[in-house]
Amino acid sequence: MFWRMVRGTLFRQKTKMIMIAVTIALGASLATAMINVMFDVGDKVNRELKTYGANITVLPKEASLLGDLYDVEEGGEQTGQYLKESELGNIKTIFWAYNIVDYAPYLNANVTFNGKETRLTGTWFDYTLDLPTGESVTTGINRMKTWWDVDGEWLNDAEHDTAMVGSAVAKRENVNTGDTISVSAQNGERELKVKGVFNAGDDSDECIYVPLDTAQELTGKDGAVSSIDVSALTTPDNELSRKAAKNPDSLSVKEMETWYCTAYVSSIAYQIEEVMTDSVAKAVRQVAESEGAILDKTRLLMLLITILSLIGSALGISNLVTASVMERSKEIGLIKAIGGKSGSVSWLVLTEILLTALAGGVVGYFAGLGFAQIIGHTVFGSAISVKPMVIPIVAVIVFVVTIAGSLPAIRYLLRLRPAEVLHGR
Amino acid sequence: MNKRKMYLRMVTSSIMRRRSRMIIALLAVAIGATIFFGLATIYIDIPQQMGQEFRSYGANMIFLPSEDGESISDDTVKKIKSSIPENDLVGMAPYRYENVRINELPFMAAGTDFEEVQKTAPYWYITGSTPANEGEVLAGKGLAETIGAGEGDEISIKIETGDDKTEEFTFTVAGILQTGGNEEEYVFMSVEDMERISGAKEGCDVLECSIRQSAQELKDFSEKIESEIPEVTPRLVKRVAESEGTVLTKLQALVLLVTIVVLGLTMVTVATTMMAVVVERRKEIGLKKALGASNGSITGDFLGEGFFLGLFGGGIGIGLGFLFAHAVSLNVFSRTVFFHPVLIPITLGISAGVTILACLIPVRRATDVDPALVLKGE
Repeated sequence: MFWRMVRGTLFRQKTKMIMIAVTIALGASLATAMINVMFDVGDKVNRELKTYGANITVLPKEASLLGDLYDVEEGGEQTGQYLKESELGNIKTIFWAYNIVDYAPYLNANVTFNGKETRLTGTWFDYTLDLPTGESVTTGINRMKTWWDVDGEWLNDAEHDTAMVGSAVAKRENVNTGDTISVSAQNGERELKVKGVFNAGDDSDECIYVPLDTAQELTGKDGAVSSIDVSALTTPDNELSRKAAKNPDSLSVKEMETWYCTAYVSSIAYQIEEVMTDSVAKAVRQVAESEGAILDKTRLLMLLITILSLIGSALGISNLVTASVMERSKEIGLIKAIGGKSGSVSWLVLTEILLTALAGGVVGYFAGLGFAQIIGHTVFGSAISVKPMVIPIVAVIVFVVTIAGSLPAIRYLLRLRPAEVLHGR
Repeated sequence: MNKRKMYLRMVTSSIMRRRSRMIIALLAVAIGATIFFGLATIYIDIPQQMGQEFRSYGANMIFLPSEDGESISDDTVKKIKSSIPENDLVGMAPYRYENVRINELPFMAAGTDFEEVQKTAPYWYITGSTPANEGEVLAGKGLAETIGAGEGDEISIKIETGDDKTEEFTFTVAGILQTGGNEEEYVFMSVEDMERISGAKEGCDVLECSIRQSAQELKDFSEKIESEIPEVTPRLVKRVAESEGTVLTKLQALVLLVTIVVLGLTMVTVATTMMAVVVERRKEIGLKKALGASNGSITGDFLGEGFFLGLFGGGIGIGLGFLFAHAVSLNVFSRTVFFHPVLIPITLGISAGVTILACLIPVRRATDVDPALVLKGE
């Protein structure tokens, strides 16, 4: 009999129940979309922040980086220490390999161009590297220097006799895209075809960029790399990582484990040092620090907006449930008049509402996934990853909110005097 | 009793007598208005608030002397400073470079204004303290390691004074600087100290500015400076200036889209609640019709109620929404939020509009029905 009554309400009062289900579905979809976006926003924004360039630089241990911000030339060039090109693949084999978005090696040399000493940098542009694990990665500076304005095109690593010229050099020496330039270094002279002129807005405008192999052949430093820029997704610094950054040896075994297994910029740098012989990996504080600040703010902002929308949808759902239960006072009055007990009446109402909520919640969850993907694709151009843990969260929210919304209505029903209601007052 | 009085009386008494239902309806409208007002305020404020955070990337424009070997004079610095809107200028740090020798090794010494540097390069990580007194320096980490100096140690800096003569000065290392960049190989001192050791030459070699403006505004600004103050060449730090625009646009788009989705869903929720409250009153509508009320006057009654609810709920929502935006801003950005009066009529308009629309749909359905059927309960 109980289930027959429940069925009766659900099917005969179809419009009303559909309305409740729709509201719950909307609320649930809002919760699903917002929570999914909230969990993923850190990762997404982190990727966006990669446009600021590398947050870790790797240098040979003893070499001091004397080439400088404002082109003030220091005494000698490098002290003769280099990193090994053959070890570059190792960077993609560290514990946090998947957090390394892009990286590029550099080999700097001074060459003579038009009778003047000019800096030449060999690097990867869009290089595909086979890893020791059998996989392959494609990386290079055309992904890392997103702010470069290139007139012409980026180089292809396989075409060794090509170059890109910095805007300052190009202006001074009157070089245009398509020209052929001749540079000479320790290992002889070489003709290079200029495929592009770039404006970087920093001191690389004073450089000529060539594929890494070309620079190595010109300088006779086979397999040598003078520095590496690494762009990695990192977790904002906290107490532990600051302590570790000062001296990793000061950590206890347990702290060390936590630190090593968290994607702090310092622990990623430490792991890179482990796989590159005689290297020093340094966090570029300008990028790493600011990234942390912006990530924290964005996460907190999204969290608060999510909380607001959750409260909003919760109140909306419970409001409607209250309104629709009150509306049924006459029906309830009748049940009570023919001997229905308060307990069983509330139980009946609750069951009906919860069944409706279940249906609405399921529909809402999937609709919410849709909304999250719309947000992901429109804003970040990539899908928002679906976290299974959102399901229980949304289920609990819908359940609690529906029950809470029914409570004032049920209290009202229990106080109903059947005679009054049926009389129509 | 004239017609208008009667109308007002019907509207107000319908609200007052059915208090519990009206509270529900009012609550629904207020929630909608709160969410709209709160999110819209945040959305409008985001570029400004987040822009401030992005300034932690440091200088986005540097000024160099146009002539090689020249320096930027104090007068020029003042001129540049006065041409930047005061509110947009975060910091402006001059740098003056000299070649020096410490322990007979060549290094670069920079004279700067440490107070301004904290604003243009907030990412500098200093162990120890920032030099505050005469004769104190900040040593880059790499330099400190090379010469084996620590915090509190005394170092002697030799500087060429021309004609192969050198002068020697003693400085105390106040702190060690870590940046992960080239600055770690430098030694930094105050402008005054720099002038003292290098002879009283005024001016600076580079002027770093952190300006709260978008890449396009900065470009326009640099063109303006170039033509107005020919002694200096402004250069945009493209990495900082352009990346900021990219990321900020994404963030703003995110908040906009979230606002639209949340708003759309909330409005539907408000509408369903209003509909549920009105559907209940079919009997009342039937009775009015039986007493001879026209469809138009019944619709008018509900219109008035909806309008009243919308305004009242909207008003509550504006208050609560502002409190919410304020709380968010304080928590996230540690700053107060600006009240945008233009949002008031928009919020009131939307909440009244949604409420009226939500009332009218069920009323229309009810007025179409024969009053006899409604009253009989079919």
